[in-house]
Amino acid sequence: MNRPAIPPWLARVIGCWATALVLGACAYALADTLARTLPRQHPLEELSYYPSGQRLGLVSLGHPETFADLAWLRAVQYYGEHRRSDMVFTKLYHVFDILTALSPHFVPAYVFGGFALAQEGAAFDRAEALMLKGMEANPTSGPLAFELGFLYYVKPGGRDLVHAGQYFEQSARMPDAPPSAGRFAAYVRQNAGDLAVARALWIGVAQNSGNAYLREIAEREIDKIDRALATGRSDLATHRLTTPVVVIGRQP
Amino acid sequence: MIVPLIARNTFREATRDRVVAGVVVAGVVVIIATQLLHSLALGEGFRLTVDLGLTTISVFGLLIVLLVGTSLVAKEIERRTIYNLLSRPIGRPSYLVGKWLGLTGTLWVVAGSIALALCLLLTFRGHGGTSWVVLEAAYMAGLELSVVTALAVLFSALSTPVLSALYTIGFYMVGQWSWDLRDFARQIPGGLGLTLEAVANLVPNFPIFNMRTLAAQGEAAPFYHVAVATIYALVYSGCVLALASAAFESRDFK
Repeated sequence: MNRPAIPPWLARVIGCWATALVLGACAYALADTLARTLPRQHPLEELSYYPSGQRLGLVSLGHPETFADLAWLRAVQYYGEHRRSDMVFTKLYHVFDILTALSPHFVPAYVFGGFALAQEGAAFDRAEALMLKGMEANPTSGPLAFELGFLYYVKPGGRDLVHAGQYFEQSARMPDAPPSAGRFAAYVRQNAGDLAVARALWIGVAQNSGNAYLREIAEREIDKIDRALATGRSDLATHRLTTPVVVIGRQP
Repeated sequence: MIVPLIARNTFREATRDRVVAGVVVAGVVVIIATQLLHSLALGEGFRLTVDLGLTTISVFGLLIVLLVGTSLVAKEIERRTIYNLLSRPIGRPSYLVGKWLGLTGTLWVVAGSIALALCLLLTFRGHGGTSWVVLEAAYMAGLELSVVTALAVLFSALSTPVLSALYTIGFYMVGQWSWDLRDFARQIPGGLGLTLEAVANLVPNFPIFNMRTLAAQGEAAPFYHVAVATIYALVYSGCVLALASAAFESRDFK
């Protein structure tokens, strides 16, 4: 009786290895393609040399959102503690920087952190940096662009109408923008002296707003701008705006 | 018919394990406990509930794999029940696939139970419309756990329960870092970069299954993403089980 050239157990081992190799090659190709094509939820491009928030993202083992939630709870506690005691917020930016590095699409965190830093924290430059970081991570967010415009509008010590108008306008172009974004953009541009731009924005409000009262305001403002442009007197169309101050907490 | 039989027995054995019941109860308790943090979350209670709920599925599922999965085969060898099984006309690959199916089924039941509790809680909180998104993210977490289970079965067939658990945790960690490893590799020129990129493709790419960020924002993943993630999980698990079978076939139980 002839013995088979390969023992059955060896044939099975070879079969298993062959299957593993074929499936392994498929998995390898799939992994390579998917890593290139699927959208990244947590971009950590320069992971090795980035500060704490990015490193925490690595330690979280695929759960940075949960870590961000814990950081959010800590941030709210930190804000509350100092709001009720010494009104000193030295670590506030750091806490929000970590939180937003872990969760770059957490829009309420940018807004809350930005306004807390600008108002109670008296650190407008840091507030601006946090909000701009948010805009970089969420360039199509209408609500965030609106809040950034508002941050510039109420800048303690002097309104920044140019930037405020720019971001209100950007917000108004987004599908998820607050309904008042167009009106805010027109109002701010008008008071910044950009009468031609303001007129175009008011026309947009007059044509698209479902609110009759707003349409009436828009038409009134267009008339004012037309008069100002015809006479060359821009003061006819601009209002005297007050200088914002922080009423709660320290003065800037 | 052998594979479903072994799978059914493994499922029955695993679900009778107190660890599994304890994990389900603990998961539901964690989800309910998130409600205590609602008042501290400054309006972000929904996000907190979804994030912690989905993390509970992943982390507690991993715990089951480590406590039950890594000793699946070793326990049978220790009790010598494997001799009874393998002396019958049962192929060793069928035995391993049955074990994997049984434990994976248990994990899907656990993930489903916790996800259902999460959906009920969200509906109670007035966010019933997001249940679909949560179920999708839980499905992806189930796929991830299926791949981890395949790895646990592989190591269980080769080594002791303690070492199997360590190897499984190691692969889980590397798998979670696979996309970061690939980014890191691209910054390194030459052969080392290419080697690291190859390693990143070889280890399980768990970020593919991570839908938690989207779910926390109330957004669903596109169908394409879910479909390719399912294919990847099946192909990767198949590859790992084939390797486990090759190793198990070569193993001498005399």
